[in-house]
Amino acid sequence: MTLIRRLYCILCLVSGVALLAASSPAQEADSVLIDTAGVEVTPAPAPPVNVGARDTPSDEGYSITVFWELSADDRPGEDFVTGYRILRAETPEGPFREVGFSSVGATSYTDASTEKKTDYYYRVETQADGASSSSPVIGPVQSTAQWFNFNLLNLLIIEGIICLAILYFIYSAKSGKKLFLRKIAGLEAVDEAIGRATEMGRPILFIPGIQDMDDVQTIAGITILGRIAKTIAQYDCRLHVPVSRSIVMTTARETVKEAYLSAGRPDAYSDDFVNYVTDEQFGYVAAVDGIMVREKPATCFYLGAFFAESLIMAETGHSIKAIQIAGTAMPAQLPFFVAACDYTLIGEELFAASAYLSNEPRQLGSLKGQDVGKVIAMVFILLPVIVLTLGAIFGWEFATRAGEFVRDWFRLIQM
Amino acid sequence: MNNRVLAYIVVAVGIAVFAILAATQGFAVTMGAFFTIGIFSFLYKDNPYYKFSEAVFVGISAGYWFVSLFWQNMVSKLYMGIQAAYNTTFVEHAGWDDRWMMLLGGLLGLFMLLRLFPKIGWLSRWSLAVIVGATAGLYFINYFVSNGIIQLGAIIAPLQSFTEAGKLDWWGTISQALLVAGTLSGVVYFYFSKEHTGAFGGVAKIGIWTLMLTFGASFGYTVMSRMSLLIGRMDYLVGTWLGLIR
Amino acid sequence: MNFWVRLMTIDRRIIFLFVVIAVTIPLFLNISQEIVVSTEVQTGFDAFSALQPGARVLVACDYDPPSSPELQPMAVATFRYCLDHDLKFIIIGLWPQGPQQANAAFETVLGYPISDTITYNGKTLIYGRDWVNLGFQAGNELVIQRMGSSIPAAFPRDYRGTPLEDLPLMQGVQNFNNIDFVMNISAGYPGVYEWVQFGVDRFGVRLVGGTTAVQAPLIYPYYGSGQLLGVLGGLKGAAEFEGLVGVSGKATQFMLSQSFAHVIVILFIIVGNVAYFVGGRKQKKT
Repeated sequence: MTLIRRLYCILCLVSGVALLAASSPAQEADSVLIDTAGVEVTPAPAPPVNVGARDTPSDEGYSITVFWELSADDRPGEDFVTGYRILRAETPEGPFREVGFSSVGATSYTDASTEKKTDYYYRVETQADGASSSSPVIGPVQSTAQWFNFNLLNLLIIEGIICLAILYFIYSAKSGKKLFLRKIAGLEAVDEAIGRATEMGRPILFIPGIQDMDDVQTIAGITILGRIAKTIAQYDCRLHVPVSRSIVMTTARETVKEAYLSAGRPDAYSDDFVNYVTDEQFGYVAAVDGIMVREKPATCFYLGAFFAESLIMAETGHSIKAIQIAGTAMPAQLPFFVAACDYTLIGEELFAASAYLSNEPRQLGSLKGQDVGKVIAMVFILLPVIVLTLGAIFGWEFATRAGEFVRDWFRLIQM
Repeated sequence: MNNRVLAYIVVAVGIAVFAILAATQGFAVTMGAFFTIGIFSFLYKDNPYYKFSEAVFVGISAGYWFVSLFWQNMVSKLYMGIQAAYNTTFVEHAGWDDRWMMLLGGLLGLFMLLRLFPKIGWLSRWSLAVIVGATAGLYFINYFVSNGIIQLGAIIAPLQSFTEAGKLDWWGTISQALLVAGTLSGVVYFYFSKEHTGAFGGVAKIGIWTLMLTFGASFGYTVMSRMSLLIGRMDYLVGTWLGLIR
Repeated sequence: MNFWVRLMTIDRRIIFLFVVIAVTIPLFLNISQEIVVSTEVQTGFDAFSALQPGARVLVACDYDPPSSPELQPMAVATFRYCLDHDLKFIIIGLWPQGPQQANAAFETVLGYPISDTITYNGKTLIYGRDWVNLGFQAGNELVIQRMGSSIPAAFPRDYRGTPLEDLPLMQGVQNFNNIDFVMNISAGYPGVYEWVQFGVDRFGVRLVGGTTAVQAPLIYPYYGSGQLLGVLGGLKGAAEFEGLVGVSGKATQFMLSQSFAHVIVILFIIVGNVAYFVGGRKQKKT
């Protein structure tokens, strides 16, 4: 072979080797390094980049959000990177301790264990099996409280409209305008039921539920008790109100006393009309059942918040052939009252009855204002559903986007 | 043999049976069975056995709640909270401790008791106002979001739904249509500003029918719940007490 | 009085007798019933089983002895699963007897009374390291709200009075961010409702709710909207959960009685309605 050909072969050989070396992939994620002791070690993954931290917006001041861009080794479908460790210290030199762990693909973490007005420093480590690499330390950053939670802005708008409507109707009612409320079946039966008890010479039993005065149903029940007690005072009938909470007892006594006073019968009132039994649910209903069977009231009113005892009371009342008028906003108990009682005020009808009977402007105005809320709800259910359905049928992109916008507007509310 | 003598014999035999079972099966278990059967006897008719069981149950439960609330609230929160706050402020000299606010709670609780004194009983209304107002404020956001806003967002979807293969899912479509129709008609039923007449009344009628269907389903679930409790009691009587089943 | 009218006005005590017989006899029978798992229980179990060993599970036992036939099996199955899969659990109660019920359920799993060091399937578990019972706290939903910012502030001590800082499991547990999963077993108020409103919607808690069958229809909307990961409704839900956990507990045993009782109730409803329509018509004719 001539010298030139030899040189040419050597050149080709060297070029080939160089090409091979250049075309071999960057060190495979699962390729293995051998250290000086001959032990296999996992190579360190690439650290996360552009790490930052800021005070979490719209919160009470106890959290900082740390964010970053994915490590170069965090690729979809690969399992080299196992996650990200977030470490925190109060000085840039440390000591750093782990405050959280984010999974593969995550680009932020909310550290919700900070104190206000304290400098914090963070670094984020990419984790692989037995190896890790850290970002530079970032900081200082402090967490502070904000006055306004913008996450709830949508809620503010909706509740603001309803509250304004309520205030408007209360003002209208106070200024003498007659507010229309539809007839509520069951209310007309109240006077008839009281009259029946008077004729039969048997007492009237009133149960204002088993919850405390902080439950709005109890408040509604006590309001209706006031109206009923006034009629009972006029008819000179006996009233018995066994209660399950001590505060309800004192409130009910005041209400009944006032009712007797306004009926012109303060002499007929006695504290014994209202008595405390027990806080225990089934102990209370056992006592009420005993009262029903022994005193045999002609009329039983169940108006308030009830739980499992509702059926027991209604069944016992049915067995003693009393007229039973019930009202509750507890959906689980309504079926029993509907089945066993003569009249049932369903859900909001209890509050409507309270407003109807008391004719109090605030209650009437509240009810009317809530009706505005119902109209808003109906509109926001019907229109987006129609728009989304038409968009899906006819392929109207704008309709689908509009409907989804409304849907997401509701879902955006995060407390 | 007259009824009174018969009653005495029945009671004597009953006491003897329970005494034997208490000795063999355990006193506490037998007491549980004694009161269980006593309450169950009401299903036959009201009787002194039931009245006794009811009185014991009511008395024990009232006493239990009193003791429980005393130790959980008065001692655990009020007394120990104030004690801890005192230590922080005056012993450790670490400044203000939020638990001093328990004093305000205790004061409001004391105001409730002032109802017993007519001249200053009006102070109890402040405590009531705090309870009612705080609850209303708490629920103003949480209840509305959880039960109103999020539920509204969940209903808003096109009526037709499709399977993963892209075919029309008839059951899903009917479900969604029923959900939307039921929700709307139910809301119409509870609209108090208009009389339920004409077309509006017709929709309200659909609403009340929807409600009744819901109540029926709820009733069925509750029958299941009550039966479960009865099964538990029967298991206690025949299993735990009499040991007839394992 | 014709037959149908007599059937309609049957003494209720006869109905009670039929129900008691229907409920009691199956307890003596050794027949197992196939339990079909419903979607809401399956998704709840799937979320639970996705937890890694060492995860912290908050088990909120918000019920008392009257509801234990339905709810105690759920607690037993939950603790069994936690022990089998090395999950750490923290017991709390918003009802006074809840933590005691939890202890009773734990003892059912172990088969012997609880002590500070217990052995289960060859594993040694130490109180304070592998499980804690923080006891009852009065305050209802306000306790949940407090836990959202600070669990040590809501529960400064465990049920024995040990400060939280002395319990290794509670080291680093500041609020719900440090809790991986919540299983709430509740009989009423406070319960799943409050946990959804104050725990899930406010603090992003991952929650599965176990309730009595009375409450279950009210909880399903939360499952439908994604606020709840799963619902265990009543005795049936408990039996399904037991099956998924791999144990045949009280709920599975009671399902036969439940089925018999339901059949009796359905029969009486049918008979009553037939008597009402047929008897009423005959009454009108006469």
